[in-house]
Amino acid sequence: MTLRIAKKEMTEMVRDGRFRAASAIVFTLLAGALLLGWQHFREVSAQHASAQRATREQWLGQGKKNPHSAAHYGVYAFKPKVPLTMLDRGTDPFTGVAVWLEAHKQNEFKYRPAQDATAVQRFGELTGATVLQLLVPLLIVLLSFTAFSGERELGTLRQLLSLGVRQLDLARGKALGVAVALGLLLVPAALIGVVAITAGSGQTDMVAAIPRMAWMTLGYLLYFGTFLGVSLAVSAWASSSRSALIILLGFWMFNALIAPRAASDIAKALRPAPSAFQFARGIEKALQGDGHDSASSRAKRLEQELMKKYNVDKVEALPINFTGARLQDGEDHGNEVFDQAYSRLWTVFDAQDGVRRLVSVTAPSIAVRSASMAFAGADFPQHAHFARAAEAYRRTIQRVMNDDLMRNASNTGVYVAGDELWKKVQPFEYTAPDASWVLSRQVPSLVVLALWCTAAGLAALWTTRRVRVY
Amino acid sequence: MLEASALSKSYNGTIALHPLDLRIEPGEIFCLLGANGAGKTTTINLFLNFIPPTSGTAKIGGLDVVQQPLESKRLLAYIPEQVMLYRNLTGIENLEYFTSLAGGSHTKAGLIGFLEEAGLARNDADKRVGAYSKGMRQKVGIAIAIAKKARALLLDEPTSGLDPKASNEFSELLKKLSGAGSAILMATHDLFRAKETGTRVGIMKHGRLAAQYSTSELGHADLERIYLEHMHD
Repeated sequence: MTLRIAKKEMTEMVRDGRFRAASAIVFTLLAGALLLGWQHFREVSAQHASAQRATREQWLGQGKKNPHSAAHYGVYAFKPKVPLTMLDRGTDPFTGVAVWLEAHKQNEFKYRPAQDATAVQRFGELTGATVLQLLVPLLIVLLSFTAFSGERELGTLRQLLSLGVRQLDLARGKALGVAVALGLLLVPAALIGVVAITAGSGQTDMVAAIPRMAWMTLGYLLYFGTFLGVSLAVSAWASSSRSALIILLGFWMFNALIAPRAASDIAKALRPAPSAFQFARGIEKALQGDGHDSASSRAKRLEQELMKKYNVDKVEALPINFTGARLQDGEDHGNEVFDQAYSRLWTVFDAQDGVRRLVSVTAPSIAVRSASMAFAGADFPQHAHFARAAEAYRRTIQRVMNDDLMRNASNTGVYVAGDELWKKVQPFEYTAPDASWVLSRQVPSLVVLALWCTAAGLAALWTTRRVRVY
Repeated sequence: MLEASALSKSYNGTIALHPLDLRIEPGEIFCLLGANGAGKTTTINLFLNFIPPTSGTAKIGGLDVVQQPLESKRLLAYIPEQVMLYRNLTGIENLEYFTSLAGGSHTKAGLIGFLEEAGLARNDADKRVGAYSKGMRQKVGIAIAIAKKARALLLDEPTSGLDPKASNEFSELLKKLSGAGSAILMATHDLFRAKETGTRVGIMKHGRLAAQYSTSELGHADLERIYLEHMHD
């Protein structure tokens, strides 16, 4: 019975020019967004790979110089582009993709496209995620707002119910009809996406992408299910198709436009993060200079400690190079300051995320956005994961350079190191966290989506059981 | 087959139907006459369980329509003033959909047979319903009733707006169905048709079944005179 009803809904939709036109537009946009994402991904990952090679070659080929000069010369670390970001770029445009690793400081990330963009552009970027989060729900609304109200207005609902059709079958059939129609649109688009992702990634990337893709798909299906359930419920409950459409467009607008912005603003208001300027000032104050300053109290204290340790009475007599020791001591102090400052900042970001998660109970779109960018590998926790790895690498470079200074430089003459030392620093390798790491953080989003989907389904059943014929 | 016992309906204290007792046996065509708002459609909607009764029961084939809404509907067919169909589907597709939802399964030839029996031209059956006239839609409605082998028919002004020839064809179909053993309840304004096709007529006024007559007792002129007398206050 359900199948029979679904088949008729499908036949009607396919014969309806409006459905064909709307679907063609959404499909074109989705396929276009995927292709654009694929092109962007290919370009950017090629750029990253060559830049990563170039920074390594520059490091190795920097010639003979003092190890601390090399530490200042530094290297760049590039966040690897993971294939699913062609679907959802997440926070990448805001957090940046490259960081300069140099002596004394943990730098901010550079190359944030959002810095160069106007506020309007934030809404304008066409990605697969925008189409899936904004346009597909709109299409679901347009396909199903007349499901019951339209048949009631037409009079066919009376005809149907006079036959002794169970309302439950009717609801299931209508839901299935819209779902199959959407499937006709989304399955080919998903195939294009899978082909693009396969073509754009190596084998390891691809294997890592499969569970992420599966979870992302689940998130989107629950989101679409929510819209379908709500649309059918409103269509059965509303007094007319016109009011059903207005209510559903309101629901869509709230989800697509208002809630995500509002959630961010509420999170910022409740858990304010310091401005970039305040953050930098705070670090500067806590650092009070770096390891270069031989007159600082820290340097004096280190001098005394070392002279006592090696039982000598002047710095020149130390068996190790004092500059190297002082620089490493400055690094150690800096590391503490950076660790504290960044952990405070990221705690604030985490708290903001917590607020957003709470707000997401009112709007499934917030939950699906969060899940989508997380499983794509472009949310803030994964950015922080990379930032920590890059920072650890920076500290390794500093330690290798300073150790070399301490061991090999004299306390009187000029010291230069060469290729041997540069090679001691291994190239930067980064492995992104796996799907289970992401999943453990995304359970709340998926739970919110599952609850919405279930509630919407029950609402649809409840309202269709009570559907009025007049 | 169709049975109302003390069946009544009121909306917020306004009585739409005073307690009604009515039995319509297989083979009978009962025509409900009366002004608009007299309670004819209310009676039909109560039999369809589209509205809940305030008191009393409506039964179809012995099944209470409120207690057994799905089972009782399996026995009946409903033809409103305007048989509404899906405009993007053809006549056959509409018939196929409605009959399959009623639980039937028919071959295409079978479906065409029902449409022909209901008087729809063969080449119209494959046209989309968007282009159908009212008479053609009513024929599809009858075809649904035939395919369903409905034992009770509820008709709500099915012939209003039909031209005399279409109206006559429709009446012939009703006679055929009642001859095959269906019980028919029809609300109508057409006194002539009521006399021609009905076995009994009932006149409703202000939610009350004011009088009942067997049509064999009456001439055309009698029925009109009686009707107008009832309409005078």
